[in-house]
Amino acid sequence: MSELKFSHVTVHFGTGRRRITAVDDVSLVVPRGSILGLVGESGSGKSTLARAAVGLAPVHAGSITLDGDPVPTRGSYRPLQMVFQDPTASLDPRLTIGAAIAEVAPRGLTRAGRAAEVARLLELVHLEAGQAAAFPGQLSGGQRQRVALARALAGTPKVIIADEITSSLDVSIQGAILNLVRDLVAEIGLTLLFISHNLAVVRYMASRVAVMQGGHLVEEGPTALVMANPAHPYTRQLLAAVPGADKPKGTP
Amino acid sequence: MTRVQKMLGTPLARTAAVLLGLVAVLAVLAPVIWGRRAETVDMTGILAPPSAAHWAGTDGLGRDLLARVLVATRLTLLLTLEATAIGVVAGFLLGAAPFLLGRVLGRAVTWLIGMAVAFPGILLALFFAVIFGTGAASAALALGLASAPAFARLCQTLVAGVLARDFIAAAQIGGVGRFRILFRHILPNIGAPLAVNATAGAGSILLSFAGLSFLGLGVQPPAYDWGRLMMECLQSVYVYPLASLTPGLAVVLAGLAFNLTGETIAHSLGIVTMSGLRGQSRRARAASRPGSRRAGPTGPASVRTSGASDWPVVPADVELTSQDDGAAALLSVRGLRVTFPTESGWVSPVRGVSFDIAPGEAVGLVGESGSGKSLTALAVAQLIEFPGRVAADAVRFAGAELTDGTSHRHLLGTSLAMVFQDPMTSLNPTRRVGAQLAELGRAHGGLNRRAALARAVDRLEAVRIPEPARRARQYPHEFSGGMRQRAMIGLGVMLNPRLIIADEPTTALDVTVQAQVLDLLASIRRRDGVALWLISHDVSVVAAVCDRTLVMYGGRIVEDLPTARLRTAAHPYTRALVAAVPTMTTDVTAPLATIPGRPPGPGELSGCAFAPRCPLADDRCRAEEPAVVSAGAHRVACWHVAEAVR
Repeated sequence: MSELKFSHVTVHFGTGRRRITAVDDVSLVVPRGSILGLVGESGSGKSTLARAAVGLAPVHAGSITLDGDPVPTRGSYRPLQMVFQDPTASLDPRLTIGAAIAEVAPRGLTRAGRAAEVARLLELVHLEAGQAAAFPGQLSGGQRQRVALARALAGTPKVIIADEITSSLDVSIQGAILNLVRDLVAEIGLTLLFISHNLAVVRYMASRVAVMQGGHLVEEGPTALVMANPAHPYTRQLLAAVPGADKPKGTP
Repeated sequence: MTRVQKMLGTPLARTAAVLLGLVAVLAVLAPVIWGRRAETVDMTGILAPPSAAHWAGTDGLGRDLLARVLVATRLTLLLTLEATAIGVVAGFLLGAAPFLLGRVLGRAVTWLIGMAVAFPGILLALFFAVIFGTGAASAALALGLASAPAFARLCQTLVAGVLARDFIAAAQIGGVGRFRILFRHILPNIGAPLAVNATAGAGSILLSFAGLSFLGLGVQPPAYDWGRLMMECLQSVYVYPLASLTPGLAVVLAGLAFNLTGETIAHSLGIVTMSGLRGQSRRARAASRPGSRRAGPTGPASVRTSGASDWPVVPADVELTSQDDGAAALLSVRGLRVTFPTESGWVSPVRGVSFDIAPGEAVGLVGESGSGKSLTALAVAQLIEFPGRVAADAVRFAGAELTDGTSHRHLLGTSLAMVFQDPMTSLNPTRRVGAQLAELGRAHGGLNRRAALARAVDRLEAVRIPEPARRARQYPHEFSGGMRQRAMIGLGVMLNPRLIIADEPTTALDVTVQAQVLDLLASIRRRDGVALWLISHDVSVVAAVCDRTLVMYGGRIVEDLPTARLRTAAHPYTRALVAAVPTMTTDVTAPLATIPGRPPGPGELSGCAFAPRCPLADDRCRAEEPAVVSAGAHRVACWHVAEAVR
């Protein structure tokens, strides 16, 4: 189990007068073996923070560390993996799902070893090992997201970042994916940064929650506490906006 | 095999295939068959005119010209392919350079390509040909390099498009090396357009090669290609035009073969999904001929809609359950069906939908993607486009029968408003927001320019857009997402509509903005007594706004119930749907409720559509479509209602 730590991270895009600070001096700890929920609206910087952690966005100030060491963003072993929102976009349509998973699996495995690893991972996410030869287009949205999960796990990561992983899925499939992720975290002892705009989902998944607004971290704490007793006005605003959140509906 | 057959479906494709086949066969066989004849020197028949022995005449050494043209096919083709291969490979490497080399070096390469593209290709070719010296190999190299910038620019654009996709980011995060990403992820995904352009490019390279040889910079004697032959025949062009025309004709035909082949492949790749529909439309046209009218539905109440003249036979599997005929309702729909043609015949994503919306009522429609909910809304608003077909027993709106075959544009334009999911695509980006609202007031409201604009500003204010007068002069891109959706609603309430259909109006919006938009819809409804039909995949959104909820599954409405009763719904699907969505009161220690399996496709239905996923399903469910039973305001289509309610 590992701990992911953001210390005074700042990310900006553009230069000069057109410079936009997407993440502004954010410090955050994802405790080992737990799920931290990160909520905020689009443009709040939550996805940028995640992309910075895996090296997809530049870090201009501060540091991102894993158990005290900088997160490697080069080389073949990446202890930090990410699952994306839309599995249709995050899986290469021209690669079988087995090949997509094997590609990330540890180097130096024999051909048979790699096939066995792919089969093990597919079964871990409740798919059949025989589906390794299928192309993403032959699977449903939920199955594709399972493959994306299996691929992230193939890299034997210590921490996984899940960026809105159920937003593009139907509600009937969402539950199964959320259950699976929770089980995996408990079984494998993963540390998970769970990004979502859906507070009810975050409440269900995460033991701690962090709230971002306009690139700043405005509140962080145990989920139950933050949800019951939000300290920041923006958190209160978010909670009030949840549909059906104990308020009279618009009857005439 | 079917794909090849489909590719060869057009005359263009067949011509391309025949030409390319001919050129290929000649390249292989001609030197074997006519090789000796082409080399035979006959000093008695120098520069002979066309005759029975020499169809295209002879050259300066009395060799048969036709044989020489045919034999030259191989060399010409090989050099063309060589040059094309050099161009494509160099172009691909240059185009992928920004990805391989990183930002600074990559930018330099991009500039270089930009400059190279600005030079005419033939100028570059001549430049390289002079540098490399005369000869076939250097000419091929020169032409290949000259065509590289164009391929590089193409590759750069294609690579950039693929790079923006998440699977590249996923591979990078997974520690996959750059070259591996280039060859396993990028190349296969740009291969098709690249192949098309390479084929078409080969045609122009063939032409350029002929040009270089003609100028004496290409193939050197004793070897000869078509360009060289043209040059040799030039001396006698005034005496025997046919002699120099023969190699010229060969160049034209081969060039045409490449270009047409490229076009054919592009055609078949570009509209691969449309080919099925085109076949269907032909069938549909045939079906609409007077003689086949009888193929239409035979139900006496059936009426044609959608402006289409006919539709396939769809069993009227709907059972009318409402006791009243919907006369008091604002919108009354009976037995609505929507059908679409596919490769394997007609499918019906909407299979007999009946419901009413009372004046001023807020009704929600929930369902998963593919349940047919959006199509139902589009069908009611008469917005299903060809080749989709709409059939209904009745669609009555504000007292008018929409299915009577006449145009109801004015009624729909004034009394029915639609709000779509993505306001960016439903507002015209090139026109000011105020003007777009005003246009509606002028077209349907009979207002003059000034009054229409004043009304537009007033409506923008009504949808709580701050500084409406200033905002009205702005373009859609100057609005935020929530603001655009409000402007869209403002457009909807421009003419005092009686029904607002909102199809996933908040799906693209953030939670706080979503709450504002839902609140706005509710308040407009309260203030103006407008009926609201809210379509969403999210039960909680519908529950927040609507009095009544329709639940759709597999193209049918499976339950129609007061929103307050959602938690005690009768249909197993509704209850599963409600339970599957985590709320702020869900027990976090227990696993979430899930619905096993997946929603049915429109073609795979027998019996109850939900049966394969339903815990209560028995043989009857799998065999027979459940009838709709109603208890007061509550309708449900399930064989197990009694057990379910218990």
